[in-house]
Amino acid sequence: MLHRMMRVDHAGEYGANRIYAGQMAVLGRTQISPLIQEMWDQEKQHLRKFNEILAENRVRPTLLLPLWNIAGFALGAGSALLGKEGAMACTVAVEESISEHYNSQIRTLMEKDPEKYTELLQLIKEFRDDEMEHHDQLIIEILVFALPFYVLLTHDPSLLQVPGYQLMKAIIQVGCKAAIYISERL
Amino acid sequence: MAALIRGLRAGRALRGLGGVAVQGTVSLQCSNVRRGFHRAALLRLASDSKSDTSVPPPSYHEVHTAGESSSSSAQGESSEDAQPNTSFQDQSGEHGEDYETEEQLQARILTAALEFVPQHGWTVEAIAAAAETLGLSSASTGMFNNGAGDLVLHFVAQCNAQLAETLAEQNNQVQLGQSEAKKTAEFLKDAVETRLRMLIPYIDTWPQAMSILLLPHNIPDSLKHLSTMVDDIWYYAGDRSTDVNWYTRRAALTGIYNTTELVMVQDSSPDFEETWAFLDNRIKDVVNMANTAKQVQATGEAVVQGLMGAAITVTTQKMIQFPERNILALTIMSCLYFSDYMKEKCLACLSFT
Repeated sequence: MLHRMMRVDHAGEYGANRIYAGQMAVLGRTQISPLIQEMWDQEKQHLRKFNEILAENRVRPTLLLPLWNIAGFALGAGSALLGKEGAMACTVAVEESISEHYNSQIRTLMEKDPEKYTELLQLIKEFRDDEMEHHDQLIIEILVFALPFYVLLTHDPSLLQVPGYQLMKAIIQVGCKAAIYISERL
Repeated sequence: MAALIRGLRAGRALRGLGGVAVQGTVSLQCSNVRRGFHRAALLRLASDSKSDTSVPPPSYHEVHTAGESSSSSAQGESSEDAQPNTSFQDQSGEHGEDYETEEQLQARILTAALEFVPQHGWTVEAIAAAAETLGLSSASTGMFNNGAGDLVLHFVAQCNAQLAETLAEQNNQVQLGQSEAKKTAEFLKDAVETRLRMLIPYIDTWPQAMSILLLPHNIPDSLKHLSTMVDDIWYYAGDRSTDVNWYTRRAALTGIYNTTELVMVQDSSPDFEETWAFLDNRIKDVVNMANTAKQVQATGEAVVQGLMGAAITVTTQKMIQFPERNILALTIMSCLYFSDYMKEKCLACLSFT
């Protein structure tokens, strides 16, 4: 069980890395690039940490890493081609999925044996907080700087009102769930 | 974990019986039930002693001893348990040191059976002969549902454990600075050779063992042993990769091990020199392939860069010569730059070393 969790987390961070890489490839010379670069650096740090954990615990990495490589880059580049709002919206959806996934892992570990897994729990909590931070930062970016009109018109600071976002979010969440399921096993 | 499942199964059997003491008929079902009974008793006692309760409930104990005394010598374990019985009656509920689980007993029998393999081959006869030397009845082979498969898998597990120990010991020495770290190719060669040398005493009957390992119901276990062994070797060789290399390296080593094993069983040279030479060549091949892959990639990149450079130079010249073709030239150039950029990104993505 522990190995599965570490495997899927490693795959997740690897995918997130590639998503940011795809976004930077398209939006690398725009105004939004420092923000994306900063978040990408944090993800790189997460990935490095998980590489260490996998090596330490002799966990097998998922066989589908090349697939997540291409898929992540494609998702990042594709969403970035929709403009910087598209990129930010994609990141928001992905970060939300990842946070939910980390939360469920934390719940599982707490149920099993909080004392035994303290280190891992602390690590996952820290990473989850980082991802939530990205999520919140970007929501503010979108609503306040990119789409203030929607907020002013509807007085509703929720991203779901933006046309097309619900569809994108649904697709990304289904994709993430499928990726998590497969990476745990394969 | 496996013991727990067996205990659960035994528990189900018990409930079917209603906990009545079994009289000693030697039908297979009966002996299965008795086995399950015995295991359930062992499991129950193990959990009892762990939770530090006092003497196990008398009905259990009574029935257990009744079951033991009525069991025919077919089980043969009663002789084993005559001594450790004292631990059952221990008020403090602790295990005695001479308490032996069924798994330990099975391991002892199988280890002893290895001596009879050159004579009887990898068969149930070897196990029966071993049981007799240990003072048990030859019908103890009924304990082994998988028969010869159990023997071969036990031997493989034992060899792998020995190999892991040797590698860990060597690793320790390197950590302590008492010996030099070997290069990867040499390390792999030595590890595989060490492991294959463990087959030498049984090399004449090893083809039989290999075919037993290939039986469909044995394949999951034999694959598990093989993959654990290969993982161990790479781990001690220093592999800490967390990408697709993890798989390519283990696949390569599995191939090397299997082919060398096949060469070994039909090798008749003194001390298997040909086998070790074959192993050496295979490892060199793999190392060569990795190097070649790197070279191909580097060459490919260089060629692509060269072509891009040439195309850009030509287009720039055309731009200067024919101003009216500027737009076309500009389009071509921007396409070239973009494709160059994409190519770099793709190569970076696909790099695997």
